[in-house]
Amino acid sequence: MARDDLHYASIRDLGQRFRERKLSPVELTTALLERIEALEPKLHTFVTVTAERALADAKAAEAALGRGDTRPLLGIPVGYKDLYFTRGIKTTAGSALLENWVPTTDATCVTRLQDAGCVMLGKLITHEFAWGIQTPEHRFKPARNPWNLDHIPGGSSSGSGAALAAGLCVGALGSDTGGSIRGPASFSGIVGLKPTYGRCSRAGVVTLSWTLDHTGPMARTVEDCAYLLQALAGHDPADPASSRAPVSDYVTPLGASVRGFKIGVPARDFFLEGADPEVARAFEQALQTLQTLGADVRDVPLPHIWDSPSFMVIMASEAFAYHERDVRERPEMYGDLLRERLVHGGLYTSAEYVQAMRLRERLRREMLGVLGTVDLLATPTSPKPAPTFATMYDTSLGFPRSNTPPFNISGLPALALPCGFSTRGLPLSLQLAGRPFDEATVLRAGHAYERATEWHTRRPPV
Amino acid sequence: MSDVTLDEVKKRAQAAGLTLREDRLEMVRRLLTDALAPLRKTDSRAVQAIEPAVTFDATGGGTADGT
Repeated sequence: MARDDLHYASIRDLGQRFRERKLSPVELTTALLERIEALEPKLHTFVTVTAERALADAKAAEAALGRGDTRPLLGIPVGYKDLYFTRGIKTTAGSALLENWVPTTDATCVTRLQDAGCVMLGKLITHEFAWGIQTPEHRFKPARNPWNLDHIPGGSSSGSGAALAAGLCVGALGSDTGGSIRGPASFSGIVGLKPTYGRCSRAGVVTLSWTLDHTGPMARTVEDCAYLLQALAGHDPADPASSRAPVSDYVTPLGASVRGFKIGVPARDFFLEGADPEVARAFEQALQTLQTLGADVRDVPLPHIWDSPSFMVIMASEAFAYHERDVRERPEMYGDLLRERLVHGGLYTSAEYVQAMRLRERLRREMLGVLGTVDLLATPTSPKPAPTFATMYDTSLGFPRSNTPPFNISGLPALALPCGFSTRGLPLSLQLAGRPFDEATVLRAGHAYERATEWHTRRPPV
Repeated sequence: MSDVTLDEVKKRAQAAGLTLREDRLEMVRRLLTDALAPLRKTDSRAVQAIEPAVTFDATGGGTADGT
């Protein structure tokens, strides 16, 4: 297998090669560790590379393969967003405050992937506490976008998105409070799934906003995301919001037709407001592709979508509640940008928080009503391609607009996957959302689209 | 609907006992304005009776102790 093929191989391909004895988990892990060492100086995707642990995991996987173990994630190298607790390994949350913190337990999601046989390559950089992009003077360097180093890879799961795009790992964990899985998927040209609220455990993941935080998989293909979700999904008594809803089979239905699927395009005036013309064009072409595959694509109304910016009242208030003591007593331990964002969360009144939660519930009900008439909703993931670092540092431009928060507000499952490239070579992304706990349909439609296009096969110039 | 003013930002910060950097006041004003716009255009008493209440759903919900 050529090296480039190895770095970008899928979980299914790698598993097949392992079982045919054409490749070993140790060979694969060694190749990825070498690539990480070569590319890290310019990409800054990892906070901690756990090379010894990775090789030990790979050797254990090799032994299990020798015993005839056929688990699909056996020997698959992954990275964990540095918001996930890892026992005995630093977990910084991208913050000087936790720079040397070493947890004594693993996050449930980490345990589940390790129990499934994954190889831990290390901890991937996150925006500070999942909300504050690292400015030039920050303790941690920001991850860079492999498609163009002057642009951000998205956040807050920035290291996860960039590392996958650069072929440094096969799968990754992200977290998503307002789009932090789907944003990096969009800007880095990979696939990210925010499952239904309660589907994947948040236990052992540093909190940003209790009622909006989700955990989930990131990968380079829809099928790889399905394999990872299969291991991650399920009730966890350690997470108060964890659901007891049955876990579906996410992998087997992939490949089935989407003929007859009803796909709703909600509120174009909202989701395409201010959209880059290239984004709008790629989105329309994606809808045409889905129609060609047999889906019934139609516009659907969603009048209360205009209430969704009040999401910020909820997220910022909850984030301030979590950080209040440190922000008041040790403000110097926060990056400039995050500190002011957190402080702003302390400026909302209790009445405003309650009203925002009421508007949230009204919108959630409306979205569920629409999903009674269609199977899926489709929007562009982001109205624009990845911005430059310079743009992100200019706070006078306001908080960047995103199409992802409505699905945190509603808790609905939402998938981001590549649907084109800008003329400057930056990835563009399609967002597909479904009914609660119906990740299987979301993944099936995403997989059908992916198989009909070639966007996911393109590689960045690193 | 009205925009949040810089003066209102300062008053809110003072009431909360929080300090904001002068060069970030405009950023915070914009954040507050955008987030509060849907609330300010809504008559909360006219909204259908919706509460931010905990709900219990036999299939989708569940609590840590299994109830």
